[in-house]
Amino acid sequence: MTAKRILMGNEAIAFGAMKAGLQVASGYPGTPSTEVMETIASHASKYGIYAEWATNEKVALETAVGAAYSGANTLVTMKQVGLNVASDPLMSLSYIGVKGSLVILVSDDPGPHSSQTEQDTRAFGHFSNIPVLDPSTPQEAYDMAKLAFKLSHEMEIPVILRTTTRVSHGCADVVTEDIEQAGRDIEGYVKEPRWTIFPKLTAQRHPWLEDLQIRISDRFSDLFSENTFNSISKGNSKIGIASSGVSSLYTNEATNKQSGTFSHFKLATVHPFPEKAALEFLNDITDLIVIEELDPYLEEQFLQLIGRYHLDVNVYGKKNGHFPVSGEYDVDVVIEGVNSSLQAMNAEIPLLTHSTPVVARENIPALPVRPPTFCAGCMHRTVFYAFKKAAAKLKKENGKGTVFSGDIGCYTLGNAQPLNMVDTCLCMGAGISMAAGLSHTQQYQDGNYAKQVAFIGDSTFFHSGIAAMISAVYNNADITLAVLDNRTTAMTGHQPHPGIGLTAMGNPTKAIDIAEVLRSCGVDLVETIEADDLGECIETAKMAIEYEGPSAVVFKGKCVGITKATGQYVIDEEKCTGCNFCVSQLGCPAIFSMSSGVPQIQDNCTGCSLCAQVCPSDAITLREVLQ
Amino acid sequence: MKFDILIAGVGGQGVVLASRLLATAAIDAGYHVATAETIGMAQREGSVTSHVRIGDEVCGSLIPAGNADLIIGLEPAEAARNIHFLKKDGSIVVNEHAVIPSASANNAEYIPEQVIEFLKKNCQETINVDFTQLAKEAGTYRAANVAMLAAAAGADLLPFNPDELWSVLEKMVPEKYRELNRKAFDMSLEKVACIKDPEQQEQVQVMDI
Ligand code: SF4
Ligand code: SF4
Repeated sequence: MTAKRILMGNEAIAFGAMKAGLQVASGYPGTPSTEVMETIASHASKYGIYAEWATNEKVALETAVGAAYSGANTLVTMKQVGLNVASDPLMSLSYIGVKGSLVILVSDDPGPHSSQTEQDTRAFGHFSNIPVLDPSTPQEAYDMAKLAFKLSHEMEIPVILRTTTRVSHGCADVVTEDIEQAGRDIEGYVKEPRWTIFPKLTAQRHPWLEDLQIRISDRFSDLFSENTFNSISKGNSKIGIASSGVSSLYTNEATNKQSGTFSHFKLATVHPFPEKAALEFLNDITDLIVIEELDPYLEEQFLQLIGRYHLDVNVYGKKNGHFPVSGEYDVDVVIEGVNSSLQAMNAEIPLLTHSTPVVARENIPALPVRPPTFCAGCMHRTVFYAFKKAAAKLKKENGKGTVFSGDIGCYTLGNAQPLNMVDTCLCMGAGISMAAGLSHTQQYQDGNYAKQVAFIGDSTFFHSGIAAMISAVYNNADITLAVLDNRTTAMTGHQPHPGIGLTAMGNPTKAIDIAEVLRSCGVDLVETIEADDLGECIETAKMAIEYEGPSAVVFKGKCVGITKATGQYVIDEEKCTGCNFCVSQLGCPAIFSMSSGVPQIQDNCTGCSLCAQVCPSDAITLREVLQ
Repeated sequence: MKFDILIAGVGGQGVVLASRLLATAAIDAGYHVATAETIGMAQREGSVTSHVRIGDEVCGSLIPAGNADLIIGLEPAEAARNIHFLKKDGSIVVNEHAVIPSASANNAEYIPEQVIEFLKKNCQETINVDFTQLAKEAGTYRAANVAMLAAAAGADLLPFNPDELWSVLEKMVPEKYRELNRKAFDMSLEKVACIKDPEQQEQVQVMDI
């Protein structure tokens, strides 16, 4: 039985995977990939699947590999930067291959909307010799998830299912099928030398891996006649367009009015490049426009092919400046790029046209900007403010400055004004290691700095903070670590982690105590405090910074995204002196200042009381206690 | 058939939920639908938009500039920020209630009334109501998004009617909030009926007396 329902691309992938007989799934949350595992975890018991959040992407992949070696159908999920963390096992794994099946869901983020990089996972496929599928809609994501499992099983190699934000986080109507219980009947692990990587084995396997690329490329060429996600349509000119992923849809819409003109090579099985199908396509055209977000992957493949076969085809894409090399595409970007290409080829074809808006973007008057910032009542605001105050006190006392190394999570927003408390941010866990590195510099040794302070969240601490902390302690780095423990993985939508005592499937489990971990890492001063009393937070922060040697404070609080407001504060017009301290110091989005008169507190106040604690005139008081 | 709706607001206002509701209603009405939503970093009090594309053909989820039939602005400045998406004879439903950014963003003074004027000047069919206030009267300011969808349906600006929309809401809103949302929904329908037909407004006033 099939049913049509509205699904987010990520949900569609989860359903496709479950339909394909998924048995074991592991992942680490990362926007825009997170909902795949969330959907699986919430259906896992029903379909007899095991699903988990691992501590990081490398662990997630290795867990799935173990299960796959036993013959299970497995999935691992992460975002594009997560694949960097998992790249160590990935590169070896392609040589060894798998039994059962292993699908690696990686979500790319052109734009980028919520990421440190705009890297293109198709490049990783190329690098590691692993096939990559690139769906353009949630429906294709569903269908290709099934294809990925099939392919992985047949070819005994992991398959990357790569999505981009607009597929992962777009919703659409998707036709899905009934899902059966996942069978438990796997062969089980069979001891064989093929599972142990050794230089000798690598040397043996490499030719197999290279030969596999050709076989899969041919297989992908065949897929042009079998289904809809790879397709070739013929136009009445000698101009062809090649596209993949969501760019294919933009292309269709941009060329809508002249759809008969261009031949279109739409590719969803991007790597290994289906050369036979591409060659056939190139037969009928003299000019090729390549439309793809992120890297010029298809463009390079086509250029190689054209060069290798001495074809007389001109290519227009990123490399000759017709399309942007970064950022997200949309219909308007595609129209610009196609027109620029048409002009360059002097084609006798009318240019594509944009729709005319009521007001052009340039003519919109200045509007208030809203940089993202901590939610009203977020515990992180209190902690960052406390460190700011503690550092200011120390600076006054001994003239020494402090460097604040941030990390990846909601608390990256500690960089927002007026807190401005993130001096470095690179990748997960790097705050600690970078603080350690800074502490070993001459400038610090010369006594110019009070202390290197690193901030990290609870989930990130488990992801890659522990190893960094051990290294810092072992190497005598003089750092202070602030763990912002809001009892959840907030930025990606509140997943549990090892500190919570709940698994992804909702079962109770051992909770790992961060303070205990820090003590056993050799940190001598470890304090745990609640992050609600500002004065106490400042004192504790100061004490930790002043401590000689590695120190750490675990600040416990709650993310307001998963807790209820405890009340609303209000500013007493009589008492307020208009000093604007509450506004200028904290940046709580619930408070805004009026051009004249008393600042106002808006509906989104959660009652954290931080503003009341900083108000020098006691003008901020609790208005009502919500039930 | 092709109908593009852009929903704009501030993180926490319920933009994503509003877009899910519209998308579900569109499927129930038998159309294809594609949405693009802002999830993640930008949600933390930043500007958020959701594109909802309803039609017979599968297409990309981002609305090209100048293509939206309707903008639903949960906040005046957010509606204005996205007006370049609106097509020539499109419509706007906008919440008069402004969310003023924290002064730390270094903004010049934000005067919501001026922004509403700008919208009305550029779009004949602009419905502006303080939906947050209306929702508060119904029980919680959080229901403003639902009130705005009701207004759009009530003013005939959606490809489905208020009843079709409500039947989706009934399925998707948790039971304990259902009554409250129904109230906001009905109050909003009444409000737009008055705006659309001033005669009825007089009748209501007469009845009030
Ligand atoms: S989601 Fe939670 S952790 Fe993130 S900014 Fe909001 S309150 Fe803070
Ligand atoms: S109590 Fe003050 S600081 Fe806390 S959320 Fe409300 S307005 Fe913001």
